[in-house]
Amino acid sequence: MVDHKATRRRFLVAAITYSGLISTGMGAAMLRASSAWAQATHGITAELTQMARLLYPHDGIADDVYAEVIDSILSDAADDASMTDTLNMAVTALNAAQDGDWFETSADDQIAALKAVQDEAFFAAILSGVRVRFYNHPKVWGHIGYPGSSVEHGGYVDRGFDDIDWLPEDA
Amino acid sequence: MANKYALRDSSVVVVIGSGAGGGTVSNELAQKGIDVVCLEAGSRLVLSDIVNNPGAMNEKMGWLDKRLGVPTWLCKTVGGTTMRWSGITPRFQGHEFKPLTTYGKLDDTTAIDWPITLAELAPYYDQAEDRMGVSGTHGVPPSAETNEFKVLKAGGKKIGYREITSTRTAINPVARDGRPGCRQIGFCWSGCAIGAKWSTLYSEIPKAELTGHFELRTNVMAVNINHDDSGKVTGVVYADEDGNLHEQKARAVCVAGNVVETTRLLHNSASGMFPDGLGNSSGHLGRNYMRHMTKSTTAIMPGPVNFHRGTRQSGLIFDEQYHKPERGFAGGYLIETSSGDPFGIAQSVGGWGESAADYLENYTCLAATWVSGEDPPQASNKITFHQTERDQYGLPVPILNYDFHANSIAMYEHAARMSKQLLESLGARGVQSTMGGGGGCHNMGVARMSANPADGVTNRWGQSHDISNLFVSDGSVFASSGAANPTLTIVALAIRQADHIAERMGRQEL
Repeated sequence: MVDHKATRRRFLVAAITYSGLISTGMGAAMLRASSAWAQATHGITAELTQMARLLYPHDGIADDVYAEVIDSILSDAADDASMTDTLNMAVTALNAAQDGDWFETSADDQIAALKAVQDEAFFAAILSGVRVRFYNHPKVWGHIGYPGSSVEHGGYVDRGFDDIDWLPEDA
Repeated sequence: MANKYALRDSSVVVVIGSGAGGGTVSNELAQKGIDVVCLEAGSRLVLSDIVNNPGAMNEKMGWLDKRLGVPTWLCKTVGGTTMRWSGITPRFQGHEFKPLTTYGKLDDTTAIDWPITLAELAPYYDQAEDRMGVSGTHGVPPSAETNEFKVLKAGGKKIGYREITSTRTAINPVARDGRPGCRQIGFCWSGCAIGAKWSTLYSEIPKAELTGHFELRTNVMAVNINHDDSGKVTGVVYADEDGNLHEQKARAVCVAGNVVETTRLLHNSASGMFPDGLGNSSGHLGRNYMRHMTKSTTAIMPGPVNFHRGTRQSGLIFDEQYHKPERGFAGGYLIETSSGDPFGIAQSVGGWGESAADYLENYTCLAATWVSGEDPPQASNKITFHQTERDQYGLPVPILNYDFHANSIAMYEHAARMSKQLLESLGARGVQSTMGGGGGCHNMGVARMSANPADGVTNRWGQSHDISNLFVSDGSVFASSGAANPTLTIVALAIRQADHIAERMGRQEL
């Protein structure tokens, strides 16, 4: 059961608190450090960081990479009212779906709540923001075996551009 | 040496754009001793500006001005989209110059036959391949077989394809024409850092400068083409970097801004005599906009491929390019290799959660195909302009309307099925296809060639039906898309057009 009154109140609190912090010039780091916010909600950063991990869950990637991605999104959102709204909507909707505390529920429930909102515009906006930052992160590249720039190493002409060895002989 | 011409010098040919069409027509004319001023909206990069960073390169050379509607993937820089292209250079087939005759009148299309044939263009294809150093032609060896090409070839053979080739790429396999051989760097779409891939930036433009008959002006945006009372064009007005307007007088004008800017410049040059835009008495300017049926398919292979190593596209399969109506659609398609960086793959595969992450966990084992297929012209696929919104030049913001034709959807379904078979024949799993992936890099139509002036904007030479000294020199003149990646045909048509302009000038007709 969703308590609509509580959801509504929470949305307003989130919107006011978050936009207020942003508009008074406090950046992402301040937002994360805001103890009142953290006590009330585990911190928007913590919730969004968990969301980022569930969007692209790689076991070998440490939390700090996901946190960096969210920090970057939050600091860009400081100058972008529509992204601020987007983040608020996401956090509000996820918590509403879990009766007020998405962050504390099981991973399965967290995923179910994400699936419930995956067709929303705010979900697509956050997914896109996470994707571009996460999959361009050097630690992610290192983990999945993508080395990035190659020209300084002379390209791959002498480094395995044609070394495939498992194709069938008859082909 | 590079020349400098006075604004009042009305003996010059003004070429707008320095990419495949504009760079080529400029050089061809200059080689014949005809004086050319080339106006380029972007800046001139040097090889040391080119880094293996797609985001940074997009900032340096992408066309980032505001456009509405479907996105394109074009360049504002000297060399135009030859900086970003993959180098794949197939020719049109004979029947692709006759789509109306060959396929009949498909519903909701505006198809016409080209006013020229393959036989007429063939000698210019030869010249273009030689200029560009196309692998497997003119003594240029085939391209080296990359890991990904080997996957395409092995899978293609398994499912019965026979015409599989690592030729037809304008990336030097070995040093040629002052440019080095490919080092398999793998960032072809972000500009080639060593100049092994053909681009007018380091081939046609410097060659033109050496003739002493050529001046390139960079960071200038053409905003209007002027004409006189007799209806001949007389000069081109352009904005410099500071927004100051200048008019370069001209004997003839060649427009090669790629489809969006070519349409906008002619549209913006409307006058009392040409109220619907310059050379638009037919009403076809901006219409019949074609992009190719495109499709990308990605899969997780049973072993490492490392498709980031080496050229982004490294070969192709011709077997499906023919018109075989029994497949359920008109025209055909080419199957090519494709690859992507992790972000590009995450974007094209789509989705989120375990399945998306699993895909990327297997990055080193990914393989992909990309398809380019015939796209029928439709009246509703068009480039128009916003009524009120203006960009930084004061020009109306373009709006690109584009939807796939039912024929393209049927072709997509066939191509997706065949790509899946090809990859699964080698043990692939997780095969995923996306329609339209990579669309917006091939742009054609909008000022098409036509035998009948009522059917198009230009004639068999790319010359305006309405204005004898106005030419269109880019992919805008395509009367149909064919299946082939368009650059080779743009270059061949530009070489042919330059011959025609020189001949007409020799006869004092221009």
